[in-house]
Amino acid sequence: MAYITGPDVVKYACTCGLLKPISQLYFCRYCCQLRCGFCVCHEVDSHFCGKCCENLPSSEARLKKNRCGNCYVCPSCQQELSTRIGSKGPSNPDDPKSTPKKMYYLSCLYCRWSSRDVGIPDQSAATGGWPDRENVHANRLQEIIDMYKAVVLAEKQQKEKDKKKQRGKYLSYTDRTGVTAASLRKRIGLPADIQHSLLKTKPKEPEPVIPKEEVEDLPEDIFTKLVKLMEVTTIEQRLLQTDVQPITVDMLFPIHKQLSIKRSLRCRSCEHNVSKPEYNPNSVKFKIQLFAYYHIPEIRIVTVEPLRAGRASELIVKFTNPTQHQTTIAFLPLDSVAEEAVGEEASFNQQEASFDAIKQSASLTSLSSQPSSLLSLSSRQPSITIKPRAIVQEVTADVAIPASKVILPPRDDAAEYDDSGDTHNIQDDPKLVVWRRSNKAFVKLLVTPRENLPINTEVIIGFTMQHVYTNTIATTVENKEPDKHDHNIKVFLTIGNLVGSD
Amino acid sequence: MELREMNYNKNDYVETASGNKVCRQTVLCGSQNIILQGKVIVQSEAIIRGDLANVRTGRYCIISKEAVIRPPYKKFSKGVAFFPLTMGDHVFVGERSVVSAAVVGSYVYIGKNCVIGRRCILKDCCVIEDNTILAPETVVPPFTRCRGSPGTNVSDLPECQADLMVDYTRSYYQHFQPNKII
Repeated sequence: MAYITGPDVVKYACTCGLLKPISQLYFCRYCCQLRCGFCVCHEVDSHFCGKCCENLPSSEARLKKNRCGNCYVCPSCQQELSTRIGSKGPSNPDDPKSTPKKMYYLSCLYCRWSSRDVGIPDQSAATGGWPDRENVHANRLQEIIDMYKAVVLAEKQQKEKDKKKQRGKYLSYTDRTGVTAASLRKRIGLPADIQHSLLKTKPKEPEPVIPKEEVEDLPEDIFTKLVKLMEVTTIEQRLLQTDVQPITVDMLFPIHKQLSIKRSLRCRSCEHNVSKPEYNPNSVKFKIQLFAYYHIPEIRIVTVEPLRAGRASELIVKFTNPTQHQTTIAFLPLDSVAEEAVGEEASFNQQEASFDAIKQSASLTSLSSQPSSLLSLSSRQPSITIKPRAIVQEVTADVAIPASKVILPPRDDAAEYDDSGDTHNIQDDPKLVVWRRSNKAFVKLLVTPRENLPINTEVIIGFTMQHVYTNTIATTVENKEPDKHDHNIKVFLTIGNLVGSD
Repeated sequence: MELREMNYNKNDYVETASGNKVCRQTVLCGSQNIILQGKVIVQSEAIIRGDLANVRTGRYCIISKEAVIRPPYKKFSKGVAFFPLTMGDHVFVGERSVVSAAVVGSYVYIGKNCVIGRRCILKDCCVIEDNTILAPETVVPPFTRCRGSPGTNVSDLPECQADLMVDYTRSYYQHFQPNKII
């Protein structure tokens, strides 16, 4: 249950060196590497309102300042406001039989704030139509924004013109006709571009702010008047409405609800998507879902014997194979992969160097001689290289690394309904595998906490899990066989606190 | 952590043909209005108020001890009316929680001692942490974790939350076994 509420006791080391529970990791099938939330690019897929679940296109979301047009939150407690009906006298005062007129107002069901408190008139329509408060500085802000937009535009034009001018200088002399309008003009001493002066319109500057010397004096009774705390807004309430920053509660206005987003994630190295949600805001399904939970064997702690310093305790962990392919799990000590990682990096550097060499040679030769495979390679070249960092995690106990391996059969959803028992005939090392069922195996490990460990410290063990990963993407046309290779992951388990010697 | 075996006295529970396990010490008012879709566990001293309106749960729902499932009401000018309460699949309701929502989606986890105010809508894949009070008519969007009083969105959930909940409720059902008679 650790993934939903409890502390994360089993952590996997991401390629970048951070430790995360498996539920928060992604597995890029193309790089065959673990990726965490920091190793992927986050892209906004769609905007939606969390209350009415309405999808908004990004342009509209920007126009509405990323807020929903229909839903409001309470300015006092930030809970969602709901529309209430208050009948207000008959619609026709002369006819007593006429139905009472329905009027709508906004009310918070948590703190009982209502739009009537601040004198917003009731509306006759249930949705929308609530008056929006004008920002007193709106004109001034718009003026400034316009000016800066004009500045940007002018700069862009200037840059383009410079470019054109430069190109024109060389081209005009090598031009086939020899004489162009620009060069002619230059020859007779006129500026090269006539449009120059016309285009260069200076952006209109808004009126500068005039400093005032006379400031209103503080009211006489400011130090003597009793402060009514119930009428003063809190900092949070003020900062919710940055344009007004109301000081007293009677200035609070309902606030449009902030929009939420759906995001897709992209591997930073190969730019393939690792997660892409469906468009519908209510849907919890994904179009692309390369989560580690679906590809990497999951480890769970089942039982631990009381941990005593210097003495071996039995730890039972459960391995689950989530994939449709059989896998084999081997155990390696932590440091065995450290060398490999360095080697990998070296080889990566080498690769990069060789790639540079190829690029140079390619630029020397004509484009047509460049093999097409290289072209595709260059587009896959990582935009950002992530250097693996050292894993910062102290290990306070040693694990006896078992020599034998564990075979995990593929996941079978129908096995749950199968009472005939296991059909897999797997010869297990009885010292290692305690029990197995369908795609799960319970494995016994021996853990020895370090001798000098004080009582009540957390015992953390670490080992490298090597599993056979079957890659189902067809890399080449000829090779139809799924690609199997070993994948190493460092795993850290927090197995509990050290107890007294007896 | 792997779940531990949870044993119960076989005489205390009724197991139906569809796999529902309902404790005898529960208060199921208006049982003709309560539909348990199958493999649902209702533990001791839980209350389901089917007499107010229909209550419908999906498969693999777990209603813990002393939890209250109560259809929501709405006040009208001519009195109150109760609305049915529907619950999706793979929902966990913690001990001593009061659920008065209109809709509880699938793969929802509600912790201990929570109050889900009336006519709340909990969408799929959300987690309400222990001791949370949700104000009436709150909408909890998918993949959000709520905490506090009033409950507010504190963080996001991992994308594989649906599978985590499926795994959790399934293994809960598998580990919830009667005492072996020796």
